[in-house]
Amino acid sequence: MNINVIQKLVDTDGIVFLSYGGYLSQTLISGMTEALELEAKDHGITMSVSNNIFTIFIELAQNMMNYSKAIDSEAMKAQGLIVVSKDSEYNYYIHSQNIVSLTDKEKIEPKLLEIQSLDKVGIKKRYRELRKSGQHTHGKGGGIGFYEIAKKCDSIEYNFTKIEEDRYYFHVKTKITTTKGEK
Amino acid sequence: MENLKLEATKYTPGITLTTEGIISLVGKSYPENTFEFYAPMIKWVEEYFENNPAQTTIVNMEIIYFNSSSSKLFFDFFDLLEENSGEHNIEINWIYDEENESAEEAGEDFIEDFENLNIKLVVK
Repeated sequence: MNINVIQKLVDTDGIVFLSYGGYLSQTLISGMTEALELEAKDHGITMSVSNNIFTIFIELAQNMMNYSKAIDSEAMKAQGLIVVSKDSEYNYYIHSQNIVSLTDKEKIEPKLLEIQSLDKVGIKKRYRELRKSGQHTHGKGGGIGFYEIAKKCDSIEYNFTKIEEDRYYFHVKTKITTTKGEK
Repeated sequence: MENLKLEATKYTPGITLTTEGIISLVGKSYPENTFEFYAPMIKWVEEYFENNPAQTTIVNMEIIYFNSSSSKLFFDFFDLLEENSGEHNIEINWIYDEENESAEEAGEDFIEDFENLNIKLVVK
């Protein structure tokens, strides 16, 4: 294991207090969410901000869980990396990364491009439009997960890195700002 | 028709549905498969309105936080309530902690989306 990779993350993004890579199950996600709840309580983060952190974490983790389940191919199974960190200014970061196919990249990217073109008010409006229309609804949910995340964070960045034909690393980075001592 | 009660888990709310007209959801909501999880509740509510419901139905929703598929499910649930609100008297309480701004905002959105429903914001 190259621990320097984690070190680099600590140096750039501050304290990493939750990091997991591997198979994602509902029980595990729920356990990690509980750990986040304790962390939030310990640091006196407001209920509003902490609920946003939990929702984003759950959304990203369940996304990866559902995605890997929907894929039959051995190569795509259950690979998920999720990292929660904070910096010295008490900003929280939640990263997720998994491997997706080209078809999925083409499904995900337009949503994220749209999100990045909108301000907060626009995102909230679009979220409600999509929830109402059921336009993106699929077997597992409303297809509005990224809009939910965007609603609840201060910034969302993403990138696709090609590994080989039809395989991309899909990395999402969200930032949630908080003020220490904020009520 | 029988009452339906589901105990809360770490990721699903406690659900109480009674023929006396109480529908209550309390807790967190991020099931692994949201539509599957809530299917028995939706089915119960549909049957309840078809079979001689109570004079007034009280819906208490006290959800601390929820994932996006639960958000979609709640929307569809309110849609079902709205379909029945012409013939039946339905009162909905959206209950939240005063510090829980996200929950408050979610309640406000539902009020705007369902003008025909009687949804009250209730601070705990």
